[in-house]
Amino acid sequence: MVAAALAGCGSGRTDEAGSGAGLVVGTTDKIFSLDPAAAYDNGSLLVENQIYSYLLNFAPGDTTPKPDAAEKCEFSTPTVYTCKIKSGLKFASGNPLTAKSVKFSFDRMLKINDPHGPASLLGNLDKTEVVDDLTVAFTLKVANDQTFPTILPTQAGPIVDERVFPADKVATDDEVVQGKGYSGPYTITSYDKNKLVEYQANPDYQGILGTPKNSTVSTKYYATSDNLKLDLQNGAIDVGYRSFTPTDIDSLRADSKVKVTDGPGGELRYIVFNMNTMPGNTPEQKLAVRKALASSVDREALASAVYKNTYQPAYGYVPQGMTGAAEPLKQLYGAKPDKTLAAKFLADAGVATPVTLNLQYNPDHYGSSSSEEYAAVKSQLEASGLFKVNLQSTEWVTYQKERASDGYPMYQFGWFPDFPDADNYLSPFFGPNNFLQSHFENPGINAQLTAETTEADPAKRVELLRKIQTDLAQNFLPTLPLLSGKQVAVSKPGVSGVDQTLDGSFKFRFTVLSK
Amino acid sequence: MSDVPAASGSLIRVRRFGWTRGGGSRQVALLRYLLIRLLLILPTAWLLVTVVFFLMRVIGDPISAAMGGRLTQDQIEQRKEAAGLNRPILTQYWEYITGFLHGDFGRTQDNQAIGDVVITYGAATFELVFWGLLVAFAIGVPLGRYAATHRDSTSDAVLRFAAVLAYAAPVFFVGMLLKLIFSVWLGWFPVGGRASTDVELALQHVSPKTNILIIDSILYGEPSYVLDVLEHAVLPAVALGLLTGGIFLRLVRVNLIQTLRSDFVEAARARGLSARVVTGRHAMRNALIPIITVMGMCIAMMLGGAVLTETTFEWKGLGYQLAEYLRARDFIAVQGIVAFIALLVAVMSFVVDAVVALIDPRVRF
Repeated sequence: MVAAALAGCGSGRTDEAGSGAGLVVGTTDKIFSLDPAAAYDNGSLLVENQIYSYLLNFAPGDTTPKPDAAEKCEFSTPTVYTCKIKSGLKFASGNPLTAKSVKFSFDRMLKINDPHGPASLLGNLDKTEVVDDLTVAFTLKVANDQTFPTILPTQAGPIVDERVFPADKVATDDEVVQGKGYSGPYTITSYDKNKLVEYQANPDYQGILGTPKNSTVSTKYYATSDNLKLDLQNGAIDVGYRSFTPTDIDSLRADSKVKVTDGPGGELRYIVFNMNTMPGNTPEQKLAVRKALASSVDREALASAVYKNTYQPAYGYVPQGMTGAAEPLKQLYGAKPDKTLAAKFLADAGVATPVTLNLQYNPDHYGSSSSEEYAAVKSQLEASGLFKVNLQSTEWVTYQKERASDGYPMYQFGWFPDFPDADNYLSPFFGPNNFLQSHFENPGINAQLTAETTEADPAKRVELLRKIQTDLAQNFLPTLPLLSGKQVAVSKPGVSGVDQTLDGSFKFRFTVLSK
Repeated sequence: MSDVPAASGSLIRVRRFGWTRGGGSRQVALLRYLLIRLLLILPTAWLLVTVVFFLMRVIGDPISAAMGGRLTQDQIEQRKEAAGLNRPILTQYWEYITGFLHGDFGRTQDNQAIGDVVITYGAATFELVFWGLLVAFAIGVPLGRYAATHRDSTSDAVLRFAAVLAYAAPVFFVGMLLKLIFSVWLGWFPVGGRASTDVELALQHVSPKTNILIIDSILYGEPSYVLDVLEHAVLPAVALGLLTGGIFLRLVRVNLIQTLRSDFVEAARARGLSARVVTGRHAMRNALIPIITVMGMCIAMMLGGAVLTETTFEWKGLGYQLAEYLRARDFIAVQGIVAFIALLVAVMSFVVDAVVALIDPRVRF
């Protein structure tokens, strides 16, 4: 009664109110920025996938980039990649989307070069030129770069309205929302950063994601995964996407009120060896130690016992489900721990056993289960009788500095791809000046990587990718892949389309969801 | 005139006496005391901001936190350089302090003005602390009075024990327990959030928007929305309120017992006033003064508790946001929020001291 009396005034209600939340998606990811020039994180990516169009994008279930705002894209010369844009496209602001808009989008990203942004993905882009109103040409520094088309649908590729976005500085979220300088399948109708965002289908979108199967979607942001899980189980939200703990997933799988959907994941968990400081007196002995380790870890046990099957064993450098994936470690070192084989590697190289390993892991950057994962690794290695493991952990900021300055002989690392191409699991790790800084560099591997990135024939490229992985696994083992992650989304019964969007592109698209 | 009051209204006479006795000098002393307290706010805030500034730089930088493990050390250094994090620390400190003095608290890494963050999220925290205080008073004052008037009885012992439990139990634990029982098992209250999704969306369009949802829902004029907002506030308010409620309970109890022993209460009894009137009208007034004294400290405690309560109940306020910024090592954001909280606590302490000095003639300064 008091509430009714208090609510009697109603003077603040505006005409915009009362649209309803539509389909509600919950997540614990956080939006960093709505401006693509400063957005290089999963929370921002989720929004970008809904509101921006790209020259090329991934259709649901497909990991090959196809025309979105473009009509077609192709290499017109080995160093020039040309795109023809569809005519009649416009931003939600009403302004036309032209070649000028595309040039503006890429130029500003490189010019702003925000420390938090994805400009580094455009490292091979020399310049962008307007050929005519609907044609744009990208000049590349390295010829025939086959990864460039895959970079266009990433966070480096959203097309923005040159009349809304500033050319030389990052736009605020309010400027983006109010200016409506985007042209994707949805527009933002209500924005409360990292609390609640409401999207309405954009009737002007003509891209590859098609007409949305729902008119309104809202995204609710959670502080903790347990609240996300509870709201799903209570029916307060329709879909939960990123991030649940393995324990959450395990209990949700047993709950008949919700449906758990798995999809291929791009995350890779692995051990890095410092080629100088790891155990072994000679390069041959060091390689033998790495091979013995590869034969001693039980990935299946890690995936099931520690991660409740939210990860799967990784026997290759490129995760399964991605074009060019291979499993050379399974053939070379066995799918299960093989003590005899491990002992032979060490004996043949004259390595005395047990080998003492100082293994580092990080407890605060790669998920809360890292401690459990590395305790299990230690236990598996020591069970072989060939190793004695000193397990140590360090806080992230110190960890990533010390590992780069030869502080750790072998250590835990993880990777989430910048773009869904097998090369993103190879060149950054094993190419010249790689980010691992573990003193691994090999001219043969470098040549193979160059050949793979410039091979235009897809079938030949896959062959090259597989050969590189076999070569790495057999002759070098600079890192030891352990697990690759799965994408997991949880939905209420009656919600459809979740399985269509959990694909190797790692793009969660609201267009296919309906209830 | 005796210091001991002999009839009703004697308190006023005591106050009058207190003010009158050397009244001029007392007022001058009071003004001087308040002025000093006011001026002390500035060095307190400066000290805190300075400590936070340097401490934040000890725990690492935002670029390494976000990009470490993806880029080489050289690339990280380049980005730190571009973000201005490699400049001499004293230069950064000077820039921050001068900006601060000009009312420019800076911008967060994700490009939000600190002032906007404080206003938006501060409103949510203010609302939570308000509800928490309401619960604290609702629990602490009547139960403290009951315990005092039933001194050494079983119910007094139970209440004392409960009070200790209330303020000794970690606020996040109490929050999780409440959530488990009343949301998960019984389903009486929502799991978290400040309102249901539909309601929150509708309240986005209220004008003027205060970000205090109870006010926004009233302005919106939909009774079910007001109830929805209240329903969402119950568990977080109880979790936070119990913390201070326990303190209030014990304070009221102890002070009321002492006051009930005092001469003027005896005199009131001797005049034939009922126990209820003596307690309610005379003793309780004096017994409540210490609550005002500890109010500043309690608000500081509640702001600390809000960090955990807000995370437990998805109440997106300043505490929750502070934790997020700390995780991202967002120096400017953490400094801004901590400075705001420091100023708020310092101002609240000043107000409390001033009020106590004004209403309690026993205070000497």
